[in-house]
Amino acid sequence: MNQTYDVIIIGGGATGAGIARDCSLRGIRSLLLERSDIATGATGRNHGLLHSGARYAVTDQESAKECIRENMILRRIAAHCVEETDGLFITLPEDGLEYQARFVEACRTAGIRTEILDPALARRLEPAANPALIGAVRVPDGAVDPFRLTSSNILDARAHGAEIRTYTEVRELLREQDRIVGVRVYDHRTHSEENCYARVVVNAGGIWGHGIAAKAGIVVNMLPAKGALLIFGHRVNRMVLNRCRKPADADILVPGDTISLIGTTSSKVPFDQIDNMIITPEEVDILLREGEKLSPQLATTRILRAYAGVRPLVASDDDPSGRTVSRGIVLLDHATRDGMEGFITITGGKLMTYRLMAEWATDLICRKIGSTEKCRTAEIPLPGSAEKREEVEKKIRHKPLTQRRSAISRHGALAEQIGDDSLGNSLVCECEEVSIGEVEYAMEHLAVNNLVDLRRRTRVGMGTCQGELCACRAAGLMGRRDAVCARKAKADLASFLNERWKGMQPIAWGDTLRESEYTTWVYEGVCGLSDEKTAAQ
Amino acid sequence: MRFDTVIIGGGLAGMTCGIRLAEAGRSCAIISQGQSALHFSSGSFDLLSKLPDGSDVQDPLEGIAALERTNPEHPYAVMGAERCERYAREAAELLRRAGISVAGDCRGNHFRITPMGKARATWLTIDGYLTAEAPDRLPFRKVCIANVEGFLDFYPEFIAEEFRKYGIECTFASVNLPDLEQIRQNPSEMRSANIARVFDHERNLVALAAQVRDAAAACDALILPAIIGLNRNDSLEVLRAKIPTPLYLLPTLPPSIPGIRAQQALQHRFRALGGEYFLGDSVLRAEYDGNSVKRIFTANHGNIPFEADHFVLATGSFFSRGLVATPDRIVEPVFGADTVATSDRSQWYTLRFFDRQNYQAFGVRTDAALHVVREGRAIGNLYGAGAGLAGFHPVQEGCGAGVSLLSALFAADEILNSHQS
Amino acid sequence: MNIQQNTVSENNFEQCIKCTVCTVYCPVAAVNPAFPGPKQAGPDGERLRLKQPDYFDAALKYCMNCKRCEVACPSNVRIGDIIQAARIKYGPQRNTSPRNFVLANTDLVGTLATPFAPIVNTAVALKPVRLVMDRVMGIDHRRVFPKYAHGTFTSWYRKHAAAAQEAFPRQVSYFHGCYVNYNNPQLGKDLIRIMNALEYGVRLLDREKCCGVALISNGLYKQARRQAETNLASIRTAVNDRKMDVITTSSTCTFTLRDEYPHVLDLGNEDVRDHIELATRYLYRLLQKNRGQLKFKDTTPLRVAYHTPCHMEKMGWAYYSIELLRMIPGVEVIVLDSQCCGIAGTYGFKKENYRTSQAVGEGLFRQIEASGADLVATDCETCKWQIEMSTSKRCEHPLSILASRLA
Repeated sequence: MNQTYDVIIIGGGATGAGIARDCSLRGIRSLLLERSDIATGATGRNHGLLHSGARYAVTDQESAKECIRENMILRRIAAHCVEETDGLFITLPEDGLEYQARFVEACRTAGIRTEILDPALARRLEPAANPALIGAVRVPDGAVDPFRLTSSNILDARAHGAEIRTYTEVRELLREQDRIVGVRVYDHRTHSEENCYARVVVNAGGIWGHGIAAKAGIVVNMLPAKGALLIFGHRVNRMVLNRCRKPADADILVPGDTISLIGTTSSKVPFDQIDNMIITPEEVDILLREGEKLSPQLATTRILRAYAGVRPLVASDDDPSGRTVSRGIVLLDHATRDGMEGFITITGGKLMTYRLMAEWATDLICRKIGSTEKCRTAEIPLPGSAEKREEVEKKIRHKPLTQRRSAISRHGALAEQIGDDSLGNSLVCECEEVSIGEVEYAMEHLAVNNLVDLRRRTRVGMGTCQGELCACRAAGLMGRRDAVCARKAKADLASFLNERWKGMQPIAWGDTLRESEYTTWVYEGVCGLSDEKTAAQ
Repeated sequence: MRFDTVIIGGGLAGMTCGIRLAEAGRSCAIISQGQSALHFSSGSFDLLSKLPDGSDVQDPLEGIAALERTNPEHPYAVMGAERCERYAREAAELLRRAGISVAGDCRGNHFRITPMGKARATWLTIDGYLTAEAPDRLPFRKVCIANVEGFLDFYPEFIAEEFRKYGIECTFASVNLPDLEQIRQNPSEMRSANIARVFDHERNLVALAAQVRDAAAACDALILPAIIGLNRNDSLEVLRAKIPTPLYLLPTLPPSIPGIRAQQALQHRFRALGGEYFLGDSVLRAEYDGNSVKRIFTANHGNIPFEADHFVLATGSFFSRGLVATPDRIVEPVFGADTVATSDRSQWYTLRFFDRQNYQAFGVRTDAALHVVREGRAIGNLYGAGAGLAGFHPVQEGCGAGVSLLSALFAADEILNSHQS
Repeated sequence: MNIQQNTVSENNFEQCIKCTVCTVYCPVAAVNPAFPGPKQAGPDGERLRLKQPDYFDAALKYCMNCKRCEVACPSNVRIGDIIQAARIKYGPQRNTSPRNFVLANTDLVGTLATPFAPIVNTAVALKPVRLVMDRVMGIDHRRVFPKYAHGTFTSWYRKHAAAAQEAFPRQVSYFHGCYVNYNNPQLGKDLIRIMNALEYGVRLLDREKCCGVALISNGLYKQARRQAETNLASIRTAVNDRKMDVITTSSTCTFTLRDEYPHVLDLGNEDVRDHIELATRYLYRLLQKNRGQLKFKDTTPLRVAYHTPCHMEKMGWAYYSIELLRMIPGVEVIVLDSQCCGIAGTYGFKKENYRTSQAVGEGLFRQIEASGADLVATDCETCKWQIEMSTSKRCEHPLSILASRLA
């Protein structure tokens, strides 16, 4: 069946989800298409840093100003996705203090609150910071969970009438003369193709947007820059730690939920490799070497996994490091730029500015379809963020304590929707305190197609054991409905273990190798599982 | 402390070696760093299920003979087909003497059924657990698969999905009892061992029979997860007496009740034979006398060392830290023995989890008599046994338990013979 | 640069690879669903508490600190220590319910009670008194308090033993503990008799306070640390200045002095730890080195069932006590499967723990009854009380059995 919409959004990252929400709040009928799951591209593969903008203050005032504005907005509208940790920009002896003055001044100009701390006070506030530090500036950095943020936007968009289709890949842009009128899509689950039509098609595909634009014969010059990160086994630092110097490799350590993240490296990758991110031993070495300077503790902390994302930078020159390229938002109206009506591209920017990007894109959509509705996404809280944590806590008081706290930290007020009899309270994932009730809630309300999707929504398998204990339990729950589900869930389990291993493999020594050997015994040995072709993906 | 032999490692290999020596009247001590990998057992012992090239093995002894030709570094090849056969037969008897009643034949594999319903070739299976002559020759056409309500480490739907491929009709039954409700109050402890404790009580065992009896009446077999008989031996008989339908057990995810029972049985046997078993201790260092180990020192016993004529290194592989991986080395931490491994980490594994991973075949370097090699020289009174040996893929080749049992008996034999000479 | 060369995380809890072995051996989780279990309360919970301290679950108080999880753990995770340390770091900082105060302050209560031992013993054994203690204080009425001795061990020692002990050529220091001092001075006398037979004099420490195990389990950490500091100072004087080893007759005191001080109270003792030893182990060493011989008079057959206390299991030293018992002519030793008796010091005296305590011990009680032993032997005083309260057998310290048969 061929459907008609006001707007089709290609890409289920934070930006696409943000546009879907913005459109639906303005009464625009939208369809969001994502070839895999939400937040699988750059959105889910970064630090999860709620930038204060300080990092950009010296080099890019515009970005810095956008960041601090959005930072304050997200604290309001996405409270349950944000941890207000604050951040420190520390100066190490090798950096010298000269940069600090420039940095503080630039922050002031951008409107970012700073506080220069006495080194002793900084060491006390953040015991994980390198004690050799000679200076520290406190800024309103924080942590933001990109999965939760995207998921909340999706939930709200859907609640206001948007249609969201994951695992649906755009194969062609449908063109009538000099106008894009829709898309031809392939549904990876049903293995069928169909056409969808809309007055405006939005390319929000991140780095993959390069290929999407190309389908219309349009060149958007992007530079794929790979950034690798390491996840540590527990929360090492309380505050975000940055180096107070010109941005470089591995100089941000972010505490996020139960873990800490160090990143990133930066290297140029060819377009044919953007779906095939492999972390090299050299990248691991750089991350550890630089990470230890921020926090020496990292040298003796267990590493859980390594991963990399691809920055969707719009190339303005061919700087190989990809760092001096503008991170500003790029909104292209292909009608004016390329003479192609009904097609726009939104790219550049960063997770922090996803909402602003969505606002700009939706403003342009409104102009194109003649709507005068104003953007309200900066005022209306996202689902889950409307209520205070304490209030939610009261309502689900009878849940076991650790489980209750974990559920609220993941779902905010929506934790109230999680069933909680004694059966539902049983834990599936013991590291991250994910209960049967939470898994069932996610399967029913959060569009979960497989175990990896479930992981993004609940943290199943993101703890110390990387799925060893919980993967089969979660698969068991997903396969409980009928025989088809059982077959799919079993195949899915194998692919989930592969996905987990991919991230463990670059750092598989010490306890991680022990964990992997044990996982092999359990799944290949006891369970007799082997690699099977997966149905989805 | 002085013993004839001190065995480091209390898993399947260490226990087997200790029992064999104690049966021969030798005084033995076993030092174990914690409970062993038997706690994750499938309820079966594999001897050889696949050759390194991935081809299936029907007759393990034939397979071992083939290994001798193709893979001389494999522990079976090192020990030799002839001795492997002798030890394979001895091992089954040793297990039975310890009270672990197993069935199977080293001349022909049978199939065990996993918690996911897969059929996997194996050698010995503990009585009561479901086996088949071939994956498509299960002993029933219509089966009832029961589970305890809320128990997440057993998967009736997955099992049914496999069985249905062979045209077997599957129904399900669910068990619940007030005492189980009690465990369920705790969100994490609905585990096999805790459930099994509930069924160690006669009244609960009787209630279990009553709850599944009717559901199974119309079927020609009933399957239960291995959640009975943690501390009693007669649970299966009690159920079988009360349920007319033939009853089989299937293993669960860890902890494994058949594994825990096997561990306990081996421990009891070893102690009953006069063996000393030191649990929760770790060996810190060794002192040598020329080319032999003279004594070892442990964390718990401090200034009182363990002295012995012979030592056995049965500390396992990575899991039990018989081997330790640093970013660029594989280390044997007790003696600093030489290891068989590559130092380039990128050669340790592939990107696919289920691939044959090179690291799994890493291990301690030994000579032809399984003497542990250190700094290029074989240590005369130190033998390697079990998962820490090099040159085999325990899971991929389905030979983990076999290598442990056979190498333990090999080491014991070497020790006994060296005394005679 | 240190690229994780050591591969072992300094955060011991990160060595946990979720194998679940500890959950099989936790005596509490098996019978009390309110306890989250060793894996959840220990390494898993620690990670959450590091994320945010308010993930601390008050149910950690149900942990008996038996350390059986640690003995079972294949990954060397100090699960019990993690739980105890979490209680100290995140738990209620003031815990002075009158009940806990009385139970924890074995020293103070013992000092007050021993002069009036006959009265106190009679009173606390009376049913109405026990009911009042149950209602008012939450001490279970089914519990019988161990009897207080009329006069302490130390006062006896000063009056009757001190002078003679100094005359021996070799000397050892004795950390007698509260139990010997207030309840069972005879055990201390037995030790002196044995050591003297081997020509060792037994000396007391300059100042000895309760080792603090009960203070730790009742949440009185500051006081525990203070007492530990006093004890360590005395031990250092004995070991460093007087060149004497320090021996004890209680497995729990030994364990506390050696391991809980550094692991739970964060008080370093590496300099003296190796010199703090259980008396049975000390004797084993002496006899192995043929430093003297013991002569026995009574050789009548006696079947003794040895029970390994939890902290003894953790130290791995049951071997020495058992070997010592095996050396006594006429004594046949049955080694019971090592299982927790359920009392865990003051834990089992608390009304809310009574059922858990008895359920935990059930397996051991059955073993004891079925053993056909004349007598149970154990190195822990609270295990002894529990065994005597819960089985038909008498329970003695191995050294008391040994001393009773000496020539």
